[in-house]
Amino acid sequence: MTTTITAPPVDLRPTTDTAVTRPAWRSVFSTLTGRRFVLSAHTPREILVPLLTPILFADVLAPALAKSIPATSGIDYQSFVAVGTIGLLVPLSCILGGIGMIVDRDSGAQRDLLAAPAPRSLMVLGNLTVALAVSLFQVIALLGASLARGATFTTDVAGWLWAAAAVVGLATFMHGLAEILAARIKKQEEYVGAAPPVALLPWFLAGSFFPISAMPAGLTAIAKLLPVTHALALLRYGLVDHNGHGLHDIWGMTNTTAMATLSLLVVAMFAIGVLALSTRVFTRAAID
Amino acid sequence: MMSGSNGRRPAIEVTGLTKVYAGGVEAVKGLSFEVAQGEVFGLLGPNGAGKSTTIGMLTTTVSPTSGTARVAGSDVVTDPIGVRAASAVVFQDPVVDRALTGERNLEIHARLWGVPRGEIGSRIGEVATRFGLGDLLQRTVDTYSGGQRRRLEIARSLVSRPRVLFLDEPTVGLDPRIRHELLDVIGALRDAGDMTIVLTTHYLDEAERLCDRVAIVHEGRIVALGKPQALLDELGHEIVELRVDAPGEPLLSFLRQRSVIGDGAFALGSTLTLPLRGIPAADVFAAVDDFGAAVIATTTRPPSLDDVYLNLTGGRLAAAA
Repeated sequence: MTTTITAPPVDLRPTTDTAVTRPAWRSVFSTLTGRRFVLSAHTPREILVPLLTPILFADVLAPALAKSIPATSGIDYQSFVAVGTIGLLVPLSCILGGIGMIVDRDSGAQRDLLAAPAPRSLMVLGNLTVALAVSLFQVIALLGASLARGATFTTDVAGWLWAAAAVVGLATFMHGLAEILAARIKKQEEYVGAAPPVALLPWFLAGSFFPISAMPAGLTAIAKLLPVTHALALLRYGLVDHNGHGLHDIWGMTNTTAMATLSLLVVAMFAIGVLALSTRVFTRAAID
Repeated sequence: MMSGSNGRRPAIEVTGLTKVYAGGVEAVKGLSFEVAQGEVFGLLGPNGAGKSTTIGMLTTTVSPTSGTARVAGSDVVTDPIGVRAASAVVFQDPVVDRALTGERNLEIHARLWGVPRGEIGSRIGEVATRFGLGDLLQRTVDTYSGGQRRRLEIARSLVSRPRVLFLDEPTVGLDPRIRHELLDVIGALRDAGDMTIVLTTHYLDEAERLCDRVAIVHEGRIVALGKPQALLDELGHEIVELRVDAPGEPLLSFLRQRSVIGDGAFALGSTLTLPLRGIPAADVFAAVDDFGAAVIATTTRPPSLDDVYLNLTGGRLAAAA
């Protein structure tokens, strides 16, 4: 197709305002968030692919195992594992989201965004907002699939809030790790190689399929240091384990609300710390 | 406060700007120059000369190691957001969201640069008309040809009506027709007179055609700075390029002894480039004959920036690029 560039007398002259326009940060944030959301929606692997494995765990593996393991800590095993797979789903989704950041840097418009008149940390916050939205959607989808397969969640508003806080904290932490990895790792293939250990290894120790007290003492001690362990204990406390068996395995206390608060603080500290670090790493990596 | 020739503060003021990358690579070595408001300024040099690093520092994506730079009155280190608010950049490599439509790409840029919401649609319409993008705006960019994508990127940079526009090798990789069309557009922007444009290129014809002034950059330093015609005038009005059947340097020395060539003559292998500076060409050919060399090929032409660069650096710009 032949296209001729024409030059009609349209006004492309620069603004002559004395003060150069500086956009409102709120507007910049909403634009960056909207852009990331649309890009993620164009990339089904970022939303749907991370769901496949956890749903298979929750809907195939857990019901089968539940026939031979009737209950764990007083909870039916299928529901126990259904919640445990959230500890796989959220890290996997957030870490795979880092591939999109590398694509954005290598062949997307990231450099133009870096030249925009706004703090570059807003890019991290925009990405985080979308990661949180996607994670919450995925968790709801997973719980829905588990319910359809026979899992039971007996909860109330407070329980949902504990669970939501755990998901937000865990997703923030994992997204921060993804930002750091994406900023540090130059090639997609190297990132894909690094992602599974970061997303999967903690999950095996975090009490996903069994209480952490069932592991050797050394591994239990390690598990207590992992934010995903605290997040899963909070999720179970909110959704299926109102006596707080998982929290008791971590803290050894009797007041479940206090233990839940402590675990939420641990998750929040990890999330805020890694988010701050990831923002610093991103903004420093953005300039040579 | 310094002011340009038009009495206004320069759009860009650079003093002793230096960049040393990790590992000790000194890409830019103490550049100093000013660009007046409304001027088209060319940074000319081969790949690796430090042009893109300089653009990076002026657009705040590369941090200077030392020196100062101000763009539209804002310091690149202490007020980078002010610099970015007043400028836009077209990058050397494609920098665009391919999964989004052309219109969405333009809209995102407009919002990030604070274009009032009520004006975004009309601004997009203006640049789309200007760059022949009207029929393409609703298509995702991954369906665009290379030239269409480049036009979109230049259009995007103009949506915010920047005071300073940085064009980093804007025509690299384009076919000749699209390249010349884009040069027409950049020329039209220059003729409008209000926008300051900094253009990096290693295409000499682009610099000669578009730039009010050029800085020739070689190994991180400016080796010549001025109006293209002034730089060309230093080599006279006519150049004879001779290819002979003998080594060039001894012949060049012989011609100098005979005073039939002026300053700025140089030899590369068996090819001599000789500014005439009013000396009849016949005198040169006679002297070559006296030397005992045979002329294999002769070209007489006006000097180019290539000759200026070659005279200053001893390396052919186009070949090095």
